Amino acid sequence: MSTREIFDSRIESGLLLLPTLLVTVVFLYYPTALAFRTSFFDSSFGRAEVFVGLENYVELLTSSGYHQSIIISVVFAAVVVVGVVVVSLYLTFLIHEVDTGQGLYLISVIWPYALPPAVGALVFLFITHPTLGVLTGPIESLGVEVDWFNNGSQAFVVVALAAIWKQIGYNVIFMIAAMNNVPDTLTETAELDGVGGLRRLVSVYIPIMTPTIFFLVIINTIYAFFGTFAFVDLLTSGGPSNATNILIFNLYQEGFSFFNFGIASAKSVVLFVIVGVLMFVQFQITDKYSYYGG
Amino acid sequence: MVGVLQYAKQRVDALRGNYETQRIHEDDLGTHFQLLLLVVAVVFPIAVALAVSTKQSGVVTSVVDLLPGGYAVENYREVLVDYQFGRFMWNSLAMSVVIVVGKLIISVFAAMAIVYYRVPYKDLVFLFILFTLLLPVPVRFIPLFQLMNDLGWSNTILAITVPYLASATTVFILRQHFLSIPTSIVETAKLDGVGPLKFMLFVLLPMSKGVLVGVSIIMFVYAWNQYLWPLIIIDSEANQVAQVGLQLLQGDVQGGQLSWSLVMAGSTLTLLPPLLLMIVFRKPLLETFSIQQK
Repeated sequence: MSTREIFDSRIESGLLLLPTLLVTVVFLYYPTALAFRTSFFDSSFGRAEVFVGLENYVELLTSSGYHQSIIISVVFAAVVVVGVVVVSLYLTFLIHEVDTGQGLYLISVIWPYALPPAVGALVFLFITHPTLGVLTGPIESLGVEVDWFNNGSQAFVVVALAAIWKQIGYNVIFMIAAMNNVPDTLTETAELDGVGGLRRLVSVYIPIMTPTIFFLVIINTIYAFFGTFAFVDLLTSGGPSNATNILIFNLYQEGFSFFNFGIASAKSVVLFVIVGVLMFVQFQITDKYSYYGG
Repeated sequence: MVGVLQYAKQRVDALRGNYETQRIHEDDLGTHFQLLLLVVAVVFPIAVALAVSTKQSGVVTSVVDLLPGGYAVENYREVLVDYQFGRFMWNSLAMSVVIVVGKLIISVFAAMAIVYYRVPYKDLVFLFILFTLLLPVPVRFIPLFQLMNDLGWSNTILAITVPYLASATTVFILRQHFLSIPTSIVETAKLDGVGPLKFMLFVLLPMSKGVLVGVSIIMFVYAWNQYLWPLIIIDSEANQVAQVGLQLLQGDVQGGQLSWSLVMAGSTLTLLPPLLLMIVFRKPLLETFSIQQK
């Protein structure tokens, strides 16, 4: 029987695994355990920790500010995920449809994968700035007064747009691979049957691409919850009036504006549970997906 | 498992447009028109940043103001020297290179042990490493901050590199790739009496060039774009990274002490390294993504 397992020294394999395991235990597992532990303490800078049992969690359960942050995060994630997936799907479809210039179109829309969120945030701050933004004039000529430094819903829209923009590249990378994988015979049959344009996207491509789209929905959700910190920090600092205070920013404030490490740790545990649930769902999907490719 | 390689190759060919497609429709001008509009939308914010970074002030009141100005050299010099972006960029580069090289080395070791050694519990070890996907920085940064203080690593390059070295994603991608290397090659090496070190250097690494480049780009982009963790753990300007340097610029421009043209110059500088790497190495990058998705 053929095999790849050509070596069998336990010491060698142990040495090879050691660096990764060491970093994993010290900087990933241990801090996580520490977060669980600290979440049961009243803990802050320069004062003795006091065991408080579930008090921190009770506080989260009863804090309206935290509830608001959860709701904002969920709505934000929904807007970002739907926005990213719809725009990316349509872009991918258009690129898939053309023969000339495909490579050039592709690189012109996948480059935001490399975009640092902090750069994206500052550029958006500049182009939508209420007094000197390039886009402010044109938007105001449509009858909307641009005032997102004070208007919560507008601030929410600006942060969401910036976040969507940055994530398009990553999505198109995966979608174009999946769409190119749709058998040509299917495309041809659809065209002969007179199923053209958008209807072909909706009724032929999207159903076949479902596994990829699910995968991206989960990745985008994790991104919306955790990867958008720089956008919030640089564009709105969670404001105005907490309108953009998503969980990750709320946690950052708890830790490094208020220095309540006990409550911040409890909030970290909540985030851990959220990541866990999302990853579990993704795992279930990926499991099916690996059979799908055939 | 051999199917992975063929599958990946198919996808990459499709991405490169090597498909022998028998399109029965001609390129539609409408499709090109829509694509152009969307590409302009995706590129517009960065084009504005680039144009403004060459002007004397950041005030844009008409389309004419978006033409390049004559202050490029002066602005970039000022940002690099007076606003320390030379320093910040250097720190970001050091951080990213240490993370990429460190990750590659210890992940190649780990993946080699997992694929090529016949030892007990290695599947368990692999799961132990994969489970860290549940522990991204946002879940850990509160306790990690405390750990860094205890270790005395705050404000050093150790703090912004070592915790990133273990990588479930990298080990996973490398493992998938190693499993796609034909067993016949591995067995020939064994018959020739090749030891583990020689096997790694002369068989494994030469057969993994594309993947190693692809993983390096993914990890570089990831490391370079880190914002939250350096913001928390680095508190001297001398050791700060470019992403957080942007936050300093943002503070100054909001306070009115700084022209927007300098902020856009700083943003452009911070975008360039990951963007250039992505464009230059897009082929191995896209190939590696197709392994990851599998």
